[in-house]
Amino acid sequence: MYDMLAALINGALGWGWPEWALNLLSYILIVTIVLVVAPLQMLFFTYYERRVIARMQDRVGPNRVGPEGIWQPIADGVKMFTKEDIVPQAADRIVHFLAPCVVVAPTVLMFAVVPWGPGMVPVDLPTGLLFFFAISSISAVGLMMAGWASNNKFSLLGAMRAVAQMVSYEIPAVLSLIAIVMIVGSLSINEIIAYQTGLIISNRDLPGIPDLGLGWFVFTPVGFVAFIAFFIAALAEGERTPFDIPEADSEIVAGYMTEYSGMKFGLFYLAQYVLNFLLCAITAIIFFGGWQGPGVGWLYAQGITPDNPNGNGLFNVLAGVLGVFYFLLKTYIFFFVMVWLRGAFPRLRIDQLMDFGWKFLIPLTLANLFSAALWVAFTRWGPAEGMLITVGWSPVLRWLAAFVVTLAINLGVYLWLTRVYAASQAERRRAELEELSAAA
Amino acid sequence: MEVVVQVVFGLIALFILVAAAMVVSVRNVIHSALWLIACFFGVGALYLLLQAEFLAVVQVLVYVGAVSVLILFAIMLTRQISGEGVRQLTSRWPVVLVVTVLLFATVMAPTLINQQWNVPPAPPLGTPEPIAGPAELGRGFVNEFLIQFQVVGVLLTVALIGAIVIAFEERARRRRVLTLAEELELKRLRERATQTETPEPVEAEPVARETRPASEG
Repeated sequence: MYDMLAALINGALGWGWPEWALNLLSYILIVTIVLVVAPLQMLFFTYYERRVIARMQDRVGPNRVGPEGIWQPIADGVKMFTKEDIVPQAADRIVHFLAPCVVVAPTVLMFAVVPWGPGMVPVDLPTGLLFFFAISSISAVGLMMAGWASNNKFSLLGAMRAVAQMVSYEIPAVLSLIAIVMIVGSLSINEIIAYQTGLIISNRDLPGIPDLGLGWFVFTPVGFVAFIAFFIAALAEGERTPFDIPEADSEIVAGYMTEYSGMKFGLFYLAQYVLNFLLCAITAIIFFGGWQGPGVGWLYAQGITPDNPNGNGLFNVLAGVLGVFYFLLKTYIFFFVMVWLRGAFPRLRIDQLMDFGWKFLIPLTLANLFSAALWVAFTRWGPAEGMLITVGWSPVLRWLAAFVVTLAINLGVYLWLTRVYAASQAERRRAELEELSAAA
Repeated sequence: MEVVVQVVFGLIALFILVAAAMVVSVRNVIHSALWLIACFFGVGALYLLLQAEFLAVVQVLVYVGAVSVLILFAIMLTRQISGEGVRQLTSRWPVVLVVTVLLFATVMAPTLINQQWNVPPAPPLGTPEPIAGPAELGRGFVNEFLIQFQVVGVLLTVALIGAIVIAFEERARRRRVLTLAEELELKRLRERATQTETPEPVEAEPVARETRPASEG
């Protein structure tokens, strides 16, 4: 962003602004864009989800306000603003007021490290991925505050469920991402995207592959297992339907949001959809190359970059447009999958949720971590690191060996775990039945 | 620039001190935990001011995201969380104050007296700054500080196993809350048991009674 503005103001327009003015202007612009984009995505997502789920349930969905009901989210927003704000008499007023802010603020902060296109990341932190997950864990505190301050047992139950679920599913989510971080060797989100150039095979793993922006991690055995585990964990973190236990409306009204009305409820709603957008976006970025796609890399190489200051600015715009298109396309496809799952599956029980997270996903992601280490050893290590088997092998052979070994490990662990998990669940069911018959 | 850093440091330090004082002086335990979270945030901001970005992020991840959430969880699972009527100070608090100040002074005084307070001169321009990044920290963990790292790992594993041992309950001794489906199952099992004990001549009646709740649900 700063490079672009500097090139535009001091280069193309020749105004010669000092550095502090450029800094100030660029960061004000970035913050404005981030703060405008986040609610807009949320508005679009509510409409998108309602239309898609309506189609799956053989209904029409909102279609009255504007063409095909596209202004429905705005009408809902106006309704939220004009509603009365009710605070329960026995509530803790200050904490009740602060809770929605504490839930919304982290979700918007997480936008700060999401890259939208080549050279279009608001802040490129060297620890971007860690920042993303550190910030996302703050909203658990907000949920706790909301549940406790409402002084309502349904709110408290909902908050307990939400936080227990978020804390347990953060572990497989982070473990599956660590596998990718090990392969890339960096926590920077830009580095992770830059690694995924190539065609099916990343050309960082196997030099000489043509760069079509398709060397995504999901095509490797390590990346595929990490993707499945991460997406399931993301469903649980975003409280999407098989895992929407914290808001199970048939049991605990609306969970921690029960005692909120008007725009405070709207803020919880906003936080939830923004978080869903971000989880879909980060899935697209880590496993599906983010803005990588055919043509983006070539277009960007022609434009103004730090390596190539004499490029043509038009190519920057073209690369940006194409990159944002690919990125949003992938993100919206993942959100479609989330809605699809909501249309297809009933809600899990809380013990099933916990069992699945702790006894299946975590062992699977741990094994995947081991595979990732082997992947790095086979593709990159030499005799200096103690890897003596691959001495003298060609890069293709090394890549093939890495692929076969990790595939064998991941597949074997998956099959073994499914059998063990199914057996343990059956055993549990049998023990429960025995207990019941003993009681009877 | 130096002045700005000093002012920001002062503000953050003041915030941390106020938050820490609130933790021990607020009557409501939940409010106290929330002030503790604010204090953790302040410490994270201090790390950022020292350009230790990785440490700041880890501070937020571990303390705000995990430790404080566990504290809140533990508080909310206990009864009587608001200690409104509890007195926080006994009548002998001046004595306690003097003793704590003296103890604190015995720790701090040698440090304060022997410290030279000479700030090292700024390195010449062009020298790369030492960065506390994840890669450097990781290398430190597997080279110089390997023993310490492993000891901490063993300690944490022991704590984990201990927690499981404390929380573990024999299945037979556990009182379970039955779900609706299990209650239905229990009812069916009981009916079957009574059926086998005293074979009734009329068999159609219990079957009809048994299927009714299922169709309603």
